Amino acid sequence: MKRIWPAVVVVFLLAGCGVQASDVTDGGDAPTGVAPGMTLYLVDAHEQLRPELRRTGHLGSIPEALALLLSVPSGSDLHTEIAPTPVTRVSVTPTTGVLQLSVPLTIHDVTPLGIDQIVCTALGAHVQAGGDRHTKVQVRFVQPTPESDQARACPLITAR
Amino acid sequence: MRTGPPETGHRPRTRLRPRGLRARLLVAFVLVTVLGAAAAAWSSAGSASTALVTSTQQRIAEGLAGRLGAITPQLTYPPDQDALDRLRTAAGGNTVVTYRNLRSAAGTGTDLVPGTLRAAVRSRNRLVTQRITAGSRPWLVVGTPITITAPDGARTPSGIEVYSVHDLTGVEQQIGGLTRSATTTAALALPLAVLLALLAAGSVLRPVRELRDTARRLAGGDLGARSPPQGADELAELTVTVNEMAESVQTSMLAMARMQRDARRFAADVSHELRTPLSTLTAVVEVLATSADGMEADARESAQLAIVETHRLVRLVEDLMEVARLDAGTAQLRVEEVDVAGAVRDCLRARGRLDRVEVVAPEGISLRLDRRRLDVIVANLVGNALRHGEPPVRVIVSEAGEDVRIEVTDRGPGLPAHVVPHVFDRFYKADAARTRTPGSGLGLAIALENARLHGGDLTAGNADGGGARFVLSLPRHREDS
Repeated sequence: MKRIWPAVVVVFLLAGCGVQASDVTDGGDAPTGVAPGMTLYLVDAHEQLRPELRRTGHLGSIPEALALLLSVPSGSDLHTEIAPTPVTRVSVTPTTGVLQLSVPLTIHDVTPLGIDQIVCTALGAHVQAGGDRHTKVQVRFVQPTPESDQARACPLITAR
Repeated sequence: MRTGPPETGHRPRTRLRPRGLRARLLVAFVLVTVLGAAAAAWSSAGSASTALVTSTQQRIAEGLAGRLGAITPQLTYPPDQDALDRLRTAAGGNTVVTYRNLRSAAGTGTDLVPGTLRAAVRSRNRLVTQRITAGSRPWLVVGTPITITAPDGARTPSGIEVYSVHDLTGVEQQIGGLTRSATTTAALALPLAVLLALLAAGSVLRPVRELRDTARRLAGGDLGARSPPQGADELAELTVTVNEMAESVQTSMLAMARMQRDARRFAADVSHELRTPLSTLTAVVEVLATSADGMEADARESAQLAIVETHRLVRLVEDLMEVARLDAGTAQLRVEEVDVAGAVRDCLRARGRLDRVEVVAPEGISLRLDRRRLDVIVANLVGNALRHGEPPVRVIVSEAGEDVRIEVTDRGPGLPAHVVPHVFDRFYKADAARTRTPGSGLGLAIALENARLHGGDLTAGNADGGGARFVLSLPRHREDS
């Protein structure tokens, strides 16, 4: 009995020191964010929001996607309900759970569907870059309006 | 020390096993302490190192995922070589990035990526890690696909895979430091354990040692030895039991000694009281002896019987008184320079036995002793040999080292084995049927006591050629006590 005690102690001590090899272990979500292009949300003939992929070669940032949305002309089958504006710079302030967008528009430049277009395009880019699907979006217009304070969700993305 | 052929196997273990209580307590304490400290150190060092490894692994994985995630939105998809190079630069370190048959690699160790990890990256579509050991160094391999996320959150693999290899030697050194400090702490506990063990052993061993000393004194004859019981533990109980045992032994020894003393005094008193009437009786018998010739035949026979028995009785009483004196320790030694050979011849001549006994005695052996008592011893031994043995009876005086030996042998049947231990007992009769012998039955006992009085000894046995052999050995230089 006494003879195996030192061996047990040595085994214990050895097991305690050094970095041991391991099996494959999970390390969390994989990084994401690659995409063949930007997804813009436009309105079809039945006044429904529709996603459309613009092949820009990369996903880009939220301001880039919104700039593309503000400058997109109305097409034959899909159109935009945002009034054309020469300034397309949108600033994005991410806070906890809410994306604050400052758009160069007044409340009169957009229809409710137009606001949804902005919300969905921003949230889509956010999700594609790895963001949370349940993030709210606050669209702030250049002139003071109660609409600026609403935290919105995109019906196409969040509802699912 | 054994001197037989070297027998291996069990002996070294027996020698290694600690014998004393102190050593055993010490070993037990130290073993318990070392095991406890080692277990505690092992457990704390183990959990600390696990935490260290886990947090390091997590930091590396999260850092990599963060750096990759920051650059992917700007990355061309499907990627070209330039895009892969940018990804690899963003990941940093020893990284390989693949997309279908495109590949971008930098740094060392990128060939260490195990196949299991590649398979897991492809099947799980998540970031995975694996620790491996290569070239006796620990490595962390992080593998991850880059996924495409649809706007609705669905993730699909993009085909881009990133494998990054990180050296964990620094972590291992930190763990080594932890283990070393744990070992040092355990080692520091050792002297403390030894000290505690010595204290505990002392508290246990002190009563044991006192008890041992008491037992030793008891065995040495000091029946009054006791050890005071301390406390109320098992050792105290043992001490009380030993004390009780000593008490009862002392009581019975005292009773026995008193009885022995009483018996001896009784014998002494009896013989003393018998002396006066005996001297009267002797005088009467002397008168009877002188007038015996004028008696009738059967009356003369009775008278002669009375004379013989009276002489026997006188000798018996004298012997009894001598024994009583020897027992009481009042016997006096009158020591003078005596020529042993001469004394032996004088003794035999005085009893008219010189012609029946062969004396082998070199001249010039002289000794300081009591001539009368030597005479008693030799007369008793020779008388015994003539009475019970067969001639020739031989007395041999010799020197043996520091002793002078007087040997008395005969050629008779010798002493039976069951008799030898009792030859010197008082009134012992070797043959129960032969109850009436001319001796008093005290001769050999008196001879032995006389030998002891000289500081010598008297032994009985059988000679090699058959026949009894009594050896009186007297020391040449007697320490006067």
